[in-house]
Amino acid sequence: MDNTINFGIDLGTTNSAIAKFVKGEIIVFNNPLDYGRATLPSVVSYRKDKIVVGSKAKEYQEKDPKSVVGVFKRKMGTTESFKIKSINESKTPIELSAQVLKELKTFVNTGDTLDAAVITIPASFDLIQSNATKEAGYQAGFKQVVLLQEPIAASLAYANMKKTNDLTDGQWLVYDLGGGTFDVALVKIANSEMKIIDHEGNNFLGGADFDQMIVEKLIIPKLNAEYSFENLEEDMKSASGKYNAKYYVLLRRSEEAKIRLSAVSSAEITVDGFEDEGENEVDMEISITRTEFNELIKPSIDETIEMIKKIITRNSLTSIDLQFTLMVGGSTYIPYVRQRVEEILQIPVNCEIDPTTAVAVGAAHYAATKQKEISKSYKTKKQTAISIKTAYNKTSKEKEELFSARIKGNTEGLFYKIIRQDGGFDSGLKKLAERISEDLPLIENAYNFFTLTIYDNQNNIVETDVETIGINSGFGISGQPLPEDICLEVDDYDNPGQTRLALVFQRNTVLPTKRTLTFPLNKTVLKDSTDEVIRVNVLQGSHESLPESNKILGYILITGKNLTRNISKGSDIEITVSLSESQDLTVSAYLNMANQEFKETFNPKERHTPIELLKEQVDDLSDKLEDEILQAIEKEDYETASTLHKLSKEMEEIAGETQSLTLDDVTDKKYQLEDKKRKIAQKIDNATKDKRIGKAKEEYFETKAECQKLLDENGNDYERKSFNDIVVQEKAFFATNSPIKIQEKADELQNIIGQIRWRSPKFLLEIFSWLLQEQPKMNDHVQAKSLIEAGHFAANNKNWERLREVNFGLMDLLPRGAKEEATHKIGFGL
Amino acid sequence: MNDRITVPKAYIDLLDQVFEIEKKLESINEPNSIGRNVNRIKEIFENLMSDSGFIFQNPLGEKFNETRTDLEASIAGNSADNLVVTEVIKPIIRLRTNSGATTIVRKGVVVVESKL
Repeated sequence: MDNTINFGIDLGTTNSAIAKFVKGEIIVFNNPLDYGRATLPSVVSYRKDKIVVGSKAKEYQEKDPKSVVGVFKRKMGTTESFKIKSINESKTPIELSAQVLKELKTFVNTGDTLDAAVITIPASFDLIQSNATKEAGYQAGFKQVVLLQEPIAASLAYANMKKTNDLTDGQWLVYDLGGGTFDVALVKIANSEMKIIDHEGNNFLGGADFDQMIVEKLIIPKLNAEYSFENLEEDMKSASGKYNAKYYVLLRRSEEAKIRLSAVSSAEITVDGFEDEGENEVDMEISITRTEFNELIKPSIDETIEMIKKIITRNSLTSIDLQFTLMVGGSTYIPYVRQRVEEILQIPVNCEIDPTTAVAVGAAHYAATKQKEISKSYKTKKQTAISIKTAYNKTSKEKEELFSARIKGNTEGLFYKIIRQDGGFDSGLKKLAERISEDLPLIENAYNFFTLTIYDNQNNIVETDVETIGINSGFGISGQPLPEDICLEVDDYDNPGQTRLALVFQRNTVLPTKRTLTFPLNKTVLKDSTDEVIRVNVLQGSHESLPESNKILGYILITGKNLTRNISKGSDIEITVSLSESQDLTVSAYLNMANQEFKETFNPKERHTPIELLKEQVDDLSDKLEDEILQAIEKEDYETASTLHKLSKEMEEIAGETQSLTLDDVTDKKYQLEDKKRKIAQKIDNATKDKRIGKAKEEYFETKAECQKLLDENGNDYERKSFNDIVVQEKAFFATNSPIKIQEKADELQNIIGQIRWRSPKFLLEIFSWLLQEQPKMNDHVQAKSLIEAGHFAANNKNWERLREVNFGLMDLLPRGAKEEATHKIGFGL
Repeated sequence: MNDRITVPKAYIDLLDQVFEIEKKLESINEPNSIGRNVNRIKEIFENLMSDSGFIFQNPLGEKFNETRTDLEASIAGNSADNLVVTEVIKPIIRLRTNSGATTIVRKGVVVVESKL
């Protein structure tokens, strides 16, 4: 381990951050509970049994000011302390700052023990305030605390970013405008020592004020002009006012608009969702231009400039003496701030560093140069032997689940925290006791993982034997599992004219359940015609078997007579299948083009056997049987042929009986026939399975060999892994004896082949030259021409990515293949 | 948890818009079944990548307290007890993986009020 401090902390008035120096690079740690943010609001909240630091505390700041404290940095070094109502105790600014520092420690995910850090302080801090900051560091568990002034930290961040010695002997300004505070400092390097010569500041000026101004000065007047309100501003800003909730909505929207205005010249704020006093619905889009916004913040910005002028005059300087104004703090993203400061002062502004993390980054750079004074042997091992026994329901249908644990070992002075792994729950830091319990909120229908972490009083992690808490929400309790697969019959595009099954719900899915599948139609159905039909056929039984051998659960037939308009090939059909807990099946088919929905509920206690469908299926099955017999004879597989031949007799009988059924037959005959049909289908399935398995295996091995070859030539690690994953399972899926399963795996290999091919320049060029030949057939000649030009250009420049796109584009222009011309039974397929 | 997945901001922006449309649809009675299209878009997002996708969650009416780190709340009204989400400015956006686990990629932005 290095013997330098390496950690830098920006302990800010409104926001704090922590960074680390690692081999010349600076890592700014992300807030683990605030996605994408590296800062922590410097706000501490004391609830009855816990301490919350950061954005959660900030939310309560305004409404529970007696238990939430922020901006305590201003009081550092004073004897003043904050009375906390909820715990009936007073907390000093030092204690509060220590809480923020401790919370920052939880950001660090590199496994370091934090015993030393550089902490930044404002230029205005005197000795007492500085010592108070050090004390806060010690209270947070640091053995060594080095202080650094914020403007210097920002300057260091800049100097290190430039990696030059630009900053030798010169002076400049650091302009720090954050969320709620403003500071400016004059920094000088003389005799290779960076020093702060002078500073000014306002603790009540920042970005949050600008948001408020937008609401008060721009939005409220516009609302008053358009609608009738008695006292809108007061009703918004007063906590008991009737529009108080709206005020916060508008503040958020104003903040967003403000951020947008940094990039575009005008932004819209939508104001809606409430009524004025005359009960008129408020619905207004207020446009704010950059000019309006600039006018609004001008007085505030000018105030900051006045402060700078004071510094310049006080030090008998002119603009020429200053190299630049270094911009720090989130609000310096605003273009007007940069422009105005530059314009009036005639000093170039420097916006090259990230204004939100610059101070922490600079502190880390400084930390990398500071030796650790504490030797490793000094490090006291505070880790206690703690053993934790947990108790909780591993599955739950509740919104919250009670978790409890018994702690063995000395819990004195220890704290715990429970966090949900998706980042959506944080219990806050709570005192550890022999028994703890916590209501853990669950995300519905998902596996919820929580981690319980024990900390000592300086927020160092205490090692324990506790494991991740896993609670499964939603299933396994009362819902009954599905006994067999539920499938949808679809056209089989690999075998034109045939159908196959698409899995809707897998066996053991817990009821109730619902799923929507969308398919493009493969035929056009004309209104009032009966030539073409669409069939939605929901079946129960293994999705790997033949459609004929599964039991029909629900069937919807859509003919031209049912349609309000013609529907074309290529338009979508949305099929929603839902099963209630009592297995009532509801099938709905929605035709996008006609905006028509066909919906039916099927009760499992009554069987649905439409005679028409039965007749068709029996016919199909007879054809299939004859076909299979011929194939078997052809292959000299006489054993199979004879088995099948025996079946054909049975088949004939069923066919005869089915033909004689009238369409409105009310006897049980149809059910018996349906059963018989299914049995025959199963027998055919069994008799021909060997053949199909053989064929599937043969295809599988061919694909595998091809895939292996391509992988050796041009595969990447990911593809190799996918390939190996499939090959490893070979034994298992061969053992299922299911041709469909084997086919599925062959298809997966085929996908890998596709991926590799579409990357290889040779293949892309081949495809491209084939497409060139096909050009006359293409639909849109103008587009084809321009794509081909682009393709040549891409090929010449070896821009394979682009050539790939061009190939795809050209393929889209080709008329649909012959395969599409095949007759389709169902109307959509896979 | 610190291996942050970077999500293109455009996805988040699009989802926010879908959420807005869905919210607006609730209050109108329209004959063109726009809801279906919205549901389709949601499904597309849910299966955006081969093994993962985005879902949004509307926390309206849910209870709120300081342990809810999936929400960024403004507290309206006088009291800070028994808080309930009364207005949703932005929904919670989660990244869902095939194993069913989700990660919050954007917190919900809400207004909460005390409901006794």
